Amino acid sequence: MREKRIRWLNSVAGSWWLPAVLLGTWEALAQLRWINPLFFPAPSVIVQTGWRMILSGEWPSQAATTLHRMLTGSAAGLVLGFACGLLMGTLAPVRKSLEPLVSVLNSTPKLAVMPLLLLFVGVGETARLVPIALTAFVTLAMQTLDAVRSVEPGFVELARNYGAGRSALLRRVYFPACLPQIFTGLRLTAGRALVITISVELLGSPDGLGRLIWLAWQTFATEKLYIGILSTAMLGVLFHDGLARLEAKLVPWGAKPRGQ
Amino acid sequence: MRLRIVNLGVTFPAPSGPVQALRGVSFETRDREFLCIAGPSGCGKTTLLRVAAGLQKPSEGHVERIPSAADRNGQILLVSQERNLFPWMTVLDNAAFGLEMQGVPRRERRERARRLLARLGFEGREEAWPHELSLGMKQRVAVARCFLSDPAVMLMDEPFAALDCLRRMELQQELLRLWDESHKTVLFVTHDIEEAILLGDRVLVLSRQPGRVVAEFPIPFRRPRPVEVTMTDEFLDLKRQVAAALGLALRKEARVP
Repeated sequence: MREKRIRWLNSVAGSWWLPAVLLGTWEALAQLRWINPLFFPAPSVIVQTGWRMILSGEWPSQAATTLHRMLTGSAAGLVLGFACGLLMGTLAPVRKSLEPLVSVLNSTPKLAVMPLLLLFVGVGETARLVPIALTAFVTLAMQTLDAVRSVEPGFVELARNYGAGRSALLRRVYFPACLPQIFTGLRLTAGRALVITISVELLGSPDGLGRLIWLAWQTFATEKLYIGILSTAMLGVLFHDGLARLEAKLVPWGAKPRGQ
Repeated sequence: MRLRIVNLGVTFPAPSGPVQALRGVSFETRDREFLCIAGPSGCGKTTLLRVAAGLQKPSEGHVERIPSAADRNGQILLVSQERNLFPWMTVLDNAAFGLEMQGVPRRERRERARRLLARLGFEGREEAWPHELSLGMKQRVAVARCFLSDPAVMLMDEPFAALDCLRRMELQQELLRLWDESHKTVLFVTHDIEEAILLGDRVLVLSRQPGRVVAEFPIPFRRPRPVEVTMTDEFLDLKRQVAAALGLALRKEARVP
């Protein structure tokens, strides 16, 4: 028991000593005014600002807006992306006709289409959501397609030999076989969608963390800038951890994710 | 069910020209017979079973399926050398998969699978994942799944070939015990002469590429057959004869360019 605790302390100390030292040095240098507090406000000041922003409701509302925007955009893209990937993977004609389009879209920076969207739909939420949805769509479509195509034919044959029909094949073979890589797709989507969401908000949005960061820079509220950056990082970590947990639950058979 | 293999030929396309895996293979299983096919590697044994299972179309000839009164269904199930288990299902769900496909309710199929698995030494390990099992245990699950489905014909493609000698003997005995209870038609393919004689009611010898039936041996030993059977003079004598037939099959091919 005691040994276990020591080992735990060791591992925590092992991975946290560097950030702790950096933060401590930063704090000391800022307190001593050796660095310009306009660029590097003391961590303690940043924490105070953050606390105030939480109490005033500014931070919760902006973070919630960003989260909501990212989830709404991604959800639409993920559903369509999964369906599209599945169809492309199982039906050769669909793949032939869609794959070039999807892979071109995959290599297009999604932010680049935003001005065009502004032209089409005007300044508004739609123009912000579409790039996020596109990102989620192509990412998951590509991963799903690859997953379906790399399902071991032996497993399909095995199930067929036992009399599996179309729906049983999908349910009992294709879906579970693809699940690990679908999670890879979800993780990739989370990372990319966050980048796009923040970028879209930086480019022009009445609210959200990206907007908060932009405003902070324009008003030289450097502490808020740091809070904004920190919040986006936290969102990223949150998604990554959440998905890892979900995957451990839904893919308990110890499969290694492919195509990362 | 009986299988009548008529003048079967299978040719595969290959970069260096078509390869003939089987040519003019004809034989017939008897109803409720354990028929072993012994042949050197590369004689088209696997191809033969895949055609019999309907997983592959023959280039010539055909396979006739002659139903009998003992059949519970028309299934012809294949147990192969490896990759038999779905990695995403537990041992229990893998074993019950055949019953699941037959529409047996969840409770019942799990109960039946649990009972058979317990006999094969899986008590307390039914919820394990396949990647946690040794190869021998995996093959046990595959055999259990096949028997639970109670198919009309079982096709076995060297299911024990990758096991060490002791494990193989264990699994052979377990297979024999299970089979003695049901006496379903089995077509068992192997390159192991001893295995073929120990398990089979009859042994057919296949020649190397393209595979053809070159000899047939009825096996006289009474069942049940414990391992000790393999140490009798009669067994050794048979083994010698089958080996000679196999050697002949090899040598004859060696002379053909």
